[in-house]
Amino acid sequence: MADQKKQGTAKLIEVELPQSSIEQDRKQLEKTWAHAHGVLGWLMEVDHKVIGLRYIKTAFAFFLFGGIEAALMRIQLARPENHFLSPDTYNQLFTTHGTTMMFLFAVPIMTGMGIYLVPIMVGTREVAFPRLNAYGYFVYLIGGLLLYTAFILNTGPDAGWFAYVPLSGPAYSAGKRVDIWAQMITFTEISGLVGAIVIIATTFKMRAPGMTLSRMPLFVWAQLITSFMIIFAMPAVMLASGFLASDRLIDTHIFNPAEGGDAILYQHLFWFFGHPEVYIIFIPALGFISPIIITFSRRAIFGYTAMVLSLVATGFIGFGLWVHHMFATPLPQLSQSFFTAASMMIAIPSGVQIFCWIATLWGSKVHLRMPLMFVLGFFAIFILGGLTGVMLASVPLDLQIHDTFFVVAHLHYVLIGGSVFPLFGALYYWFPKWSGRMLSERLGQLNFWLMFIGFNVVFFPMHQLGLQGMPRRVYTYLPQTGWGSLNLLASIGAFILAAGVLVFLINVFWARSAGAIAGNNPWGADTLEWSTSSPPPVYVWEYLPTVEGRYALWMQNEKTPLVVGLSTTKREILSTSVVDAFPELRFEVPGASIWPAAVALATAVAFIIGIFTPWAFAVAAVLAFAALAGWFWSNPDYENVNAQNPTEAFMKPTEQPKELQPKEA
Amino acid sequence: MSSRRVIDVSGLPHHGFDTIDPVWWGNNGLLCIETSMFMITIATYFYLRQNFVTWPPPLGQLTGPLNPLPDLFFGTTNAVLLIVSVLPAVLIDVSARRNSRGAAQFGLVICLLFGVAAIVFRAYEFPAVKFRWDANAYGSIVWFILGMHLAHLLTLTLETFLLTIWCFVREFDMKHRLDITALSIYWYWVVGMWLVLYTIIYWTPRLS
Repeated sequence: MADQKKQGTAKLIEVELPQSSIEQDRKQLEKTWAHAHGVLGWLMEVDHKVIGLRYIKTAFAFFLFGGIEAALMRIQLARPENHFLSPDTYNQLFTTHGTTMMFLFAVPIMTGMGIYLVPIMVGTREVAFPRLNAYGYFVYLIGGLLLYTAFILNTGPDAGWFAYVPLSGPAYSAGKRVDIWAQMITFTEISGLVGAIVIIATTFKMRAPGMTLSRMPLFVWAQLITSFMIIFAMPAVMLASGFLASDRLIDTHIFNPAEGGDAILYQHLFWFFGHPEVYIIFIPALGFISPIIITFSRRAIFGYTAMVLSLVATGFIGFGLWVHHMFATPLPQLSQSFFTAASMMIAIPSGVQIFCWIATLWGSKVHLRMPLMFVLGFFAIFILGGLTGVMLASVPLDLQIHDTFFVVAHLHYVLIGGSVFPLFGALYYWFPKWSGRMLSERLGQLNFWLMFIGFNVVFFPMHQLGLQGMPRRVYTYLPQTGWGSLNLLASIGAFILAAGVLVFLINVFWARSAGAIAGNNPWGADTLEWSTSSPPPVYVWEYLPTVEGRYALWMQNEKTPLVVGLSTTKREILSTSVVDAFPELRFEVPGASIWPAAVALATAVAFIIGIFTPWAFAVAAVLAFAALAGWFWSNPDYENVNAQNPTEAFMKPTEQPKELQPKEA
Repeated sequence: MSSRRVIDVSGLPHHGFDTIDPVWWGNNGLLCIETSMFMITIATYFYLRQNFVTWPPPLGQLTGPLNPLPDLFFGTTNAVLLIVSVLPAVLIDVSARRNSRGAAQFGLVICLLFGVAAIVFRAYEFPAVKFRWDANAYGSIVWFILGMHLAHLLTLTLETFLLTIWCFVREFDMKHRLDITALSIYWYWVVGMWLVLYTIIYWTPRLS
């Protein structure tokens, strides 16, 4: 209400929009929003579509690397007393595999999907802070390259993706391996945090007029809640890795029991991040599933409010579970019981969502296309992973199978089932949007079944292996254990799974040149991104859309207004109020700039030299300040330019202007 | 060609104060991140304290006190200094909103002086803790807290420095007036956070 008093100048009117003016505006917008070119242009580009796709492609490349590492480990474990890999290489491989999949693949690819899709889905042209967004990508890229450069130089981290002390401490891990890991964490967490800020501000302030919070697509809700979780979870791991690095570099004693430090504290700090992390990966995946189910069942979602509240509840309860990773440490029984209860409680909101999806699908005329296939695959796999999760929440059982392959089976069922399958569904679903072409359904079927069967063949036997006592993170086992045949089966499964991913890659490369032309809305979906062309033009829309209900495109008609009056000569986007999406500002976003890359470079210098000497921070602080000052001082040509507004010329009100009010659905 | 319903937004302003502007959300989001950083650091402080019989631990010399508390002088001075510095921070906030350039310039210079003074006093706070960072877990965590807050003092002062120069040599435009209000929020946050940390470092060992 207060918003409407302050800003009452957005007017709902009727005008003539002659084709010639639309064409003229389009040409001008194309010029204003044009991409930067060349190598320097690559470093300067800030378009969220470009940055989002960079995140997605980079993260997918890391996914392939992580997969290759997994395949090498499966070859090693295929038979007892195998000497394919040395114990040291094996340690580096499982550490790099876990680190890659968690920090360089799962979180960034979800961030990337959000950065590409959220602005278009809420009906705007750019994220709120495009340069900050570009900075986040460069920091992530450098962090990933750091890890792999070290890995190739045989200094890959080898203390597990969680790097527990005392193993990772100065006494037991000499050399620089763990430091590489610690700094890589810092890089990726900075990028995650920056992405979260960008998505929160974009979601809160850039939604199309009429898209009140209660009409926001569930995908956007999922991204928003994930971003809040990132803000409160990721600082914990930055501190943990920062403390660890300083214990190793400048002899602090945070984790050193001999001087009053505490090794269990590390586990608390790590898992206070680490458990919410699972949901940071999982909630965006839930956000993929809802639009896919809505689209392919051609129905409004059953229980929208319940869905949103379940996501919020998952976000909160996700912070109350971390100790269930530490049941094998000496903790008070009362706290163990508390965390058991919380771990079981989180099954409730997940269950609510699954039932809502089933209710939406139930009795509808389901269009079983590839995205939905992957969602159905998710149901099967994730529910199994959820069930073993409830088992592991029980302390006595957990103690028995802690650090065995049962846990490996569980976590892959949850993460691949809960995250990778929906992600592949999402890639099939949105690939037409960002490439303009459809992926092949036939190759898709092959891809799905190879992945689905391969996944179960590799990970289901691990439940049994774990119950038989096979420990994790050990490079081989004796023939007498009798684990050989199940391990061989799992290794065969790994190659079936890899073949599935290979088919996906073939599909992508085939579709880029030969796929069917997608058109604006190949699936007949309801969210705004499907109303612009595929791929979207640089300015996304000639005129920003407005929204009249939860299912924007399904509720659109010829009376649905467009937004006019934004400058076409400056990068202007519309900023609206947080709850009601009432137009408030013509917010100008900056264009291409070299400063984000420069600041990322200064950050990188700080952290990489910081592996070797603490003085790096003093030097790099100066560098970072210089770069930030440059960023601040750069005279952006987007400021204080009062360009004349070309749209004004042809806007002839044909009726008495009246105040725009957001209408109820 | 037919007529078409549109929302004409050409009359909207380019900037607004507080929650209206996306910058406010970005700024406060970053402060949320830093707040979680400090909250987790504080939790670490109290977690480590459980491992000690006396906190701070004895100096290790036969003649020294059993729990060598950090000297109050510089920390307290800094706390008072920072509380007083809220006044110029309010001044720049208000003058940015009222578009009074002179008052903002004056306030920014005063803020800058306070920032530099707080950094200088902070330099003396480190030796006021009776342990080096590498002596024991107590020394480590207290140095961490002081250092993390120092990083904010530095950032705050440098940001003030940049905005001060801008206000003297460039235009006092709406975008930078907004930046000044964001700076003042950061200022309040740094001061508020110090009062919490000051109480924890200097007073919780004394009061229990």
